[in-house]
Amino acid sequence: MSRRPFGALGALALLAAVPCAESKPIAYAKGTTFMAEYGAGTMNEVQLFYAPRYFYSAGVGHLTLQSDIDGRTRDISYARFNYLAKRWNGESAQGNLFFWGGAGGAHASGAGDVFAWNAGAQADYETRRVYASLKTDFHQSSAFSHRIDTLQLGIAPYEHDYDSIATWFVVQGRRYTGEIHDGTEWAFLIRLFKGNAWVEAGATTDGNIQAMLMFNF
Amino acid sequence: MRKILMTSAALLLSVAANAGTIEMKVNGLVCAFCAQGIEKTLKGYPATADVVVSLENRLVAVATKEGQDIPDAELRKALTDAGYTVKSIDRTQTPIAEIREQVRKKSK
Repeated sequence: MSRRPFGALGALALLAAVPCAESKPIAYAKGTTFMAEYGAGTMNEVQLFYAPRYFYSAGVGHLTLQSDIDGRTRDISYARFNYLAKRWNGESAQGNLFFWGGAGGAHASGAGDVFAWNAGAQADYETRRVYASLKTDFHQSSAFSHRIDTLQLGIAPYEHDYDSIATWFVVQGRRYTGEIHDGTEWAFLIRLFKGNAWVEAGATTDGNIQAMLMFNF
Repeated sequence: MRKILMTSAALLLSVAANAGTIEMKVNGLVCAFCAQGIEKTLKGYPATADVVVSLENRLVAVATKEGQDIPDAELRKALTDAGYTVKSIDRTQTPIAEIREQVRKKSK
């Protein structure tokens, strides 16, 4: 790990715990968000962001990918800046458009340590009964180039309030480019959140576990 | 006449001293997870005694400490800086406990 470029960033991110994605990269002003995702054995990601204002945050992340085509791995540690470009606040709805970008170091099977940069975007819309999110995350280095596109559609069986548990049933479709996974990976998830904690878990149609944890503090 | 004036002045002073509750209608309140920032920010004001947030009612209510107040401009800035849109700000004498109870009943 120490031989890898920007290894300290990865170590810092991993200190926060395990293997993020989805949800929002900015929760609220002066808030810290920790997110960890276990992505069906193909990807693990952990992120830690601090938002000085509600429209931007900065922090670190670590992404591990294992190709289910050829078994090759990619370990990417990065520092990232997230920006909320637009928010629409309706009476009972909210829409957001986020962009982000960052850079760091990566270790790829057969290529050693390389510099890597990343960029992405997320558009989401939610009411207290429906949720839709489309996210794209692009990583580039001299050794690899890939993009992870994730679509989530959620429905809540009841309208939660501030002090009650929110329950969502979510369908997720994910596509990887760069010889990581062939085709679209579909997953069915249950999402629960209350207070500052968010838990999401389910399985892909291939029978692999898909899970995510998130905390705001 | 003098007695009436003095009584009126005393009443006015008591209303001003007991600032009561500030009720704000807010757009964009759809997710409790993200609305935490509002509660956190408003509780940070020295004049704040209590805060109630209701997604169902699109309501953010702040009880102020006796004799203290938070100006409208400051409240509006706090919620805008939290990423939400304030539609109205009203000052009422409804106790915050009553608002909390109403919210609780509605959300059941």
